[in-house]
Amino acid sequence: MKEFLIDLPKGTKVQHSGNIAMFEVAPADISSVISALQSKNLSLAMIDATDERTTKKCFKIWYVFSAPTENLFIIPYIRLVGTEQFPSVAAIAPAMGWCERKIKDMLGLTPTGNPDQRQLLLHENWPKDLYPLRKDFAIDTHPKTATGTYEFAKVDGEGIYEIPVGPIHAGIIEPGHFRFSMAGESITLLEARLGYVHKGHEKLFEFLPLAQKVRLAEKISGDASFSHSLAFCQAVEQIAGIKIPERAEYLRTIYAELERLACHIGDIGFMMLDTGFNFGGANGQRLREIIMRINQRLTGSRFLRGVNAVGGVTKNISKTDQNKLVKELKSWLRDANEVIAIAENSATFMNRVKTAGPLDPVVAQDYSAVGVAARAVGIATDARVEHPYAAYAKVPPKQIACETTGDVYARFCVRVKEVQTSVEIITEALKTMPAGEILTAKKIKLQPDSVAIGCVESWRGEILHLVTTNEHGEISRVAVRDPSCINWQLVGYSGCGQVVPDFPLINKSYNLSYTGNDL
Amino acid sequence: MIYLAWILQILLVPLVAPLGIGIINAVKAKMQRRKGPSIFQPYRNFVKLLHKDEVISKDASWIAKAAPFIVFAVTFVVGACIPLFSTSVHLPASDLFAVIYTLAIGTFFLALAGMDAGSAFGGFGSSREMTVSAMAEGALIFSIVPLALLCGTTDLADIAAGVSGGYHQFIAPILLAFVGFTIALLAENTRYPFDNPDTHLELTMIHEAMILEYSGKRLALVEWAAANKLFIFAALGVNLFFPVGIATTLSFGAIALSLLVLFAKVLAVYICIALLESLIAKFRFFRLSHLIFTAIIFNVIAIGMVITL
Repeated sequence: MKEFLIDLPKGTKVQHSGNIAMFEVAPADISSVISALQSKNLSLAMIDATDERTTKKCFKIWYVFSAPTENLFIIPYIRLVGTEQFPSVAAIAPAMGWCERKIKDMLGLTPTGNPDQRQLLLHENWPKDLYPLRKDFAIDTHPKTATGTYEFAKVDGEGIYEIPVGPIHAGIIEPGHFRFSMAGESITLLEARLGYVHKGHEKLFEFLPLAQKVRLAEKISGDASFSHSLAFCQAVEQIAGIKIPERAEYLRTIYAELERLACHIGDIGFMMLDTGFNFGGANGQRLREIIMRINQRLTGSRFLRGVNAVGGVTKNISKTDQNKLVKELKSWLRDANEVIAIAENSATFMNRVKTAGPLDPVVAQDYSAVGVAARAVGIATDARVEHPYAAYAKVPPKQIACETTGDVYARFCVRVKEVQTSVEIITEALKTMPAGEILTAKKIKLQPDSVAIGCVESWRGEILHLVTTNEHGEISRVAVRDPSCINWQLVGYSGCGQVVPDFPLINKSYNLSYTGNDL
Repeated sequence: MIYLAWILQILLVPLVAPLGIGIINAVKAKMQRRKGPSIFQPYRNFVKLLHKDEVISKDASWIAKAAPFIVFAVTFVVGACIPLFSTSVHLPASDLFAVIYTLAIGTFFLALAGMDAGSAFGGFGSSREMTVSAMAEGALIFSIVPLALLCGTTDLADIAAGVSGGYHQFIAPILLAFVGFTIALLAENTRYPFDNPDTHLELTMIHEAMILEYSGKRLALVEWAAANKLFIFAALGVNLFFPVGIATTLSFGAIALSLLVLFAKVLAVYICIALLESLIAKFRFFRLSHLIFTAIIFNVIAIGMVITL
């Protein structure tokens, strides 16, 4: 840890708690501190802000770095006293451009120097001077409808035309608007506009009782219900100083991997379907359904909802189910591998996915890409290995599934490899899981004035929940960074230069969450 | 008998064609281990659509309003022109070039209609349709030219009668030309690997993108016309290249037998299309020209063989 924290400005006091090292930095120094940390191979994972005007007369802006080599989060923060402006770091950490714009939308703090000052999540119909995440914004406010315009980036040139797509799409997918600037069939610029499913998640987190906060976390992104609630529970457990029973750790690992299996195989199928390879599409859905039914049988919920609780899990796996699951997964994996082998032998399918939608590794590096997209260009990042949570320290993934080409096929292969790893982990965990309690009986009491990070590698990528408590030990803010917040910014780079008929496939190969981004 | 035959000739294509679409969809569903809709679903869809109100863009001109009728009328007339079950009953315009370019009128108006309402989807649907059909037109004509050379006529009914009279020594060029014709059929009817007819991906579509603005009665007409067109191509393919069993007299027995044979052969074509659509992925847009070029090469070889043999 030491090597990360040298050459900080003089007089910096580093405060340690759990896996967090945080320290205050003067607003003027934040850029240089971030550059210094970046030069030590740390990547800035999220920025978010809290409104602490009532108690401390300031806004705080948190810069969360995750250390790749040890289970450590380094969080420099700045205090804004008497000002509503903070220096933008988008120039040195481009992926944070969206985080800063979100802060601007939600808390009304302006990132000076961010080249893009447009709204991100709140649209033109939201009044300009109303900031929902400020503490003085009442949750039952009914604002008047405002009007305004949103300027998309414009490409000039002979024959360039624009295709507006969405927010409502032909398939049953979430709403999002894509603006293509086209030269013939090839894409010269692709801009995504999201925010259509903004539903005030982070504001609700400030009001609901704790048990319901867990349920709320499940609904951040439906297909990552378990991972999001896990990230939230882990952060709260850290603040409460709870060590969950060992069996619960294993169960969380098993459920998290089941979620990964279902979503990865579903995506593998959807990628085949989007090339028109119907055989694979149908089989992907069939294989996903098998896992969903296992989920239903084990927990009563196809999406593993209601399973996580602060202090452990609520659903146990019986001895007979343990043995049955091992056998089921073995035959399921054989089945899945047969389908994947057929896909790999289909010349027409391979021709569609290979070289389509490549992501430049330099762009991925600059944006500190996460999840499948990062691993597909060879960035070996995986929170299960870097910040082992649940039982991943005991049943770790044998390797981080990486590819190098960064195209649709690479993302397909990363998922295929992770499916194999997931089955291995589940099988191993089922065999070595100790008996015992699954939910701690300890009373949950949160430390006042604390900060904690919940970090989970969902099937989509690294999820971060930053949870803070106020002086009474109540949760005052839950800031969520879904992997989609980072990776949405990469889709445009992948689409550039591609033909527009390939875009649905490219988009599917990322399969990002709209709701997780819009919150 | 002659009246009955004429009624059959005129109504056969529009009445039977939707069933073909139903069969393709049913086979595809089976291949995906889905239950799938009934093979009569397309008829139900048409009835449903005919009862529905329609929305027409306020920016659309008369072209968008008239195009479905033109497109449908084209397939209706062409369906009555081509040899279906008999070489003697058909409208006089059964010439190869007349038929192909009458169909092109339909394509032309559909492409215009796609652009008419000014939606971005319609525009690129039309642009793609024109790109594909400009190439496919050559492949289509060249695939029938070997037969025309063999029989010394461009009249489709005479070609069918001629080829059914024998040319066993020419079976190789006929097969080669049929391969070319099949590729052209897939391109002209925007089936796999050219287009995905049941696509949910609005950005990859060709035919569906052009007709995206249509609803209600006009949509029913456009889809019905597409079904007709596919039946016309399938019937042309089997009757020109493998006309065995086509009626040359107008007796009840000959016509009944000929109809059965026609249905069996067209069914075989439909099942092949459904299998193809189940087993391969759609091609990348810029590879479509390679496929059509392949078809033209097959055709040119067939022409060469016919001339030299």
